[in-house]
Amino acid sequence: MTTRKKQPKDIDGKEKTNGSGKTETSTSQEQLMANKDEELLSYIERLKRLQAEFENYKKRMQRDITTISEHVSDQSIADFLPLFDNLRRAFDSLDENNATQAFVDGIKGVFGQFDQLLKQKGVAPIMAVGKLFDPAKHEALLSIESKEERNTIIEEFERGYSRNDRVLRPSKVKVSKGIIPPEEEES
Amino acid sequence: MREKIIGIDLGTTNSCVAVLEGGAPEVITNTEGERTTPSVIAFTDNNERLVGRLAKRQAITNPKRTIRSIKRQMGTDHLVKIEQDGKVEQYTPEQLSAMILQKLVKDAENHLGGKIKKAVITVPAYFNDSQRQATKDAGKIAGLEVMRIINEPTAASLAYGLEKNKEQTILVYDLGGGTFDVSILEIGDGVFEVIATDGDTHLGGDDFDQRIIDWLVGEFRKDSGIDLREDASAMQRLKDAAEAAKMELSTRKETTIHLPYITADASGPKHLEKKLTRARFEHMIDDMLQRTSSTVEATMREAKKSAEDIDQVVLVGGSTRIPKVQEIISSRIPGKINREINPDEVVAQGAAIQGGVLAGEVDEIVLLDVTPLTLAIETLGGVATPLIERNTTIPTEKAKTFTTAEDNQPSVEIHVLQGERKMAADNKSLGKFQLVGLPSTPRGVPQVEVTFNIDTDGILHVTAKDKATGKSSSITIKESSHLDDSEIDRMRREAETHAEEDDKKAKDVEARNQADQLVYSVEKSLSELGEKVSPEERGKIEDQLRSVRDKLSQDASADELRQAMEELSKQAEQLAEQAYKQTAAESPETPSDQEQETDREENDGDYVDAEYEEEK
Repeated sequence: MTTRKKQPKDIDGKEKTNGSGKTETSTSQEQLMANKDEELLSYIERLKRLQAEFENYKKRMQRDITTISEHVSDQSIADFLPLFDNLRRAFDSLDENNATQAFVDGIKGVFGQFDQLLKQKGVAPIMAVGKLFDPAKHEALLSIESKEERNTIIEEFERGYSRNDRVLRPSKVKVSKGIIPPEEEES
Repeated sequence: MREKIIGIDLGTTNSCVAVLEGGAPEVITNTEGERTTPSVIAFTDNNERLVGRLAKRQAITNPKRTIRSIKRQMGTDHLVKIEQDGKVEQYTPEQLSAMILQKLVKDAENHLGGKIKKAVITVPAYFNDSQRQATKDAGKIAGLEVMRIINEPTAASLAYGLEKNKEQTILVYDLGGGTFDVSILEIGDGVFEVIATDGDTHLGGDDFDQRIIDWLVGEFRKDSGIDLREDASAMQRLKDAAEAAKMELSTRKETTIHLPYITADASGPKHLEKKLTRARFEHMIDDMLQRTSSTVEATMREAKKSAEDIDQVVLVGGSTRIPKVQEIISSRIPGKINREINPDEVVAQGAAIQGGVLAGEVDEIVLLDVTPLTLAIETLGGVATPLIERNTTIPTEKAKTFTTAEDNQPSVEIHVLQGERKMAADNKSLGKFQLVGLPSTPRGVPQVEVTFNIDTDGILHVTAKDKATGKSSSITIKESSHLDDSEIDRMRREAETHAEEDDKKAKDVEARNQADQLVYSVEKSLSELGEKVSPEERGKIEDQLRSVRDKLSQDASADELRQAMEELSKQAEQLAEQAYKQTAAESPETPSDQEQETDREENDGDYVDAEYEEEK
């Protein structure tokens, strides 16, 4: 390395007066600088290695995250398969004997199973009708004049769901504008 | 720690923020958990200010105080009047844009855990000075020091690292939610120059969704006589379904739109179920795609560039995921499309890179290389066992421990390979060397640690060391990372096309190696146990041993081998248990084969080698 051969001239000059012997100081200074250079180079090398290691760590984490989220997906899909099986059973039995009441009962059963599964997973419906509209939980599809107080939800088009206070899907709702006096009517 | 400079894509419909982390741009997720934020602002009844997804959700209840697409007004005198508590407040486009910026900055601060003061913001290439100044002022109002305003197409090119190449001409095709832009840039010495730009400020993915909605409404009317347009709830469901169908048609040729109970009339509930093929969808939006195509032509004419003059095409905006869009571009400018980076995020990523450069984060130390191809050694059965996977950032060091495959094997050969294929013979040989003087031991006992070390200059040092004797041997390979791009491409492509057969070959070898290992260990146990095994049991095991050996010599398929092995290993398990008890009692320092495998850390389970066997 060329840097190692650099002569530490400036410092050498200043240090001379304090030193016991000129040549000795100069050599030891030279040695010191050479050591420092070497140290510096080793730090740079370490920095580069650390940086590369960090990059590789990030790549690995990315891979791990993908794998984990795949597994999580797999698991939650697997939990829903029994419902699908039961729906299939319901339709198979309908083809065989056309027993409508039994079919409806079966579907009710599957619905109950579905409901239970969602509860187990901590899924809860978001309250809407009669509540004040909150864009954190609701999405407004319509806004109409009504006797209800302004911003009150008067109809739910599609139910929303949350899980552990996180919104899975907002409720899609109709919101009241209140009663608007004719002169203030929005154009 | 250097001060972070974030990159912001302040878009007409959506915005995105990214930051350079460890030399690579990373998109920041907002508090709603999304990677892009709708550019929508709202003032609510109780004087709350909403930005993003929440503002969008309440837009219908509050149309007069919800502002969209404010970007279209940047640089104009337009004032947005907002009535609040009986008073009318006026907001400039800069102030409103600042509110979007503040939301993005706050999300970035939450993510990074610190105050953000500086940013790079992107603008369309066609923005004039006053529009650029307005964007800068918006940043200032948001409390940001805008380090630079850069063009969106420039940012996209930066994200692809195109400035690193020599002089080039780049065409950026940006088809977003509601706007379409084409720009042609020239790069030389890291300087970007926009030589032509054109577009349509009202064309994008939302228009494509609308075409699907119109079609669905028409079809449903034909079938049932009901006009869904009067039903807000049904229309919302149609809109969601249309967007989902459009997205699905980017990866599939056909999709079915199921909307049960979409509406009802006197006769009962009505369901909507329609098949939409990709071809039909393409036909629906064809006129719009042709418009983008003629804009591309016009821009090229203006720039005085032919298709041959364009070196790279960069795709920006979610709608460029539509296969037909890509098809139209590549039919005009073949083989030059860059589309690896998420087109919704590529502009923000480029802005983050620019931010990193300005922060001094991108310098020699940070710009590290990666190994273009996997580096491996040849192991038992001619398999290439990787030590350093491709795309690993260098400098790096990886070590793995291997062992011998034969009893009393005096040496091992280390054959260094490069490439993505599973079998050694299909990869490029970089060099070979021997580690000699291994002590006489049964196979599987020696531990040879092979270390691959790629230094900053891309030079590969391979060392093999016998852990018992400390003897080592090494080789230095200079050209490991100096392949030209076409060779790298060729090797990767080959690996892809041969993936299946390679996999089968590797599996066959693995089965053979496992069978061989099993035979060996059972034989060893048998001889160690001697008379402790009853003649009857011994006879049974020997019969099964013979069957596996026969299959090995007949080159039986992996499945056949596995079947034979299964029977043998059942017996072997019992035997091994006995052997373990025996050896544990007699000589605790000599672990059985089984133990060796499980004892060591990072055991990848496949113990196979040419002359030695992988254990670690």
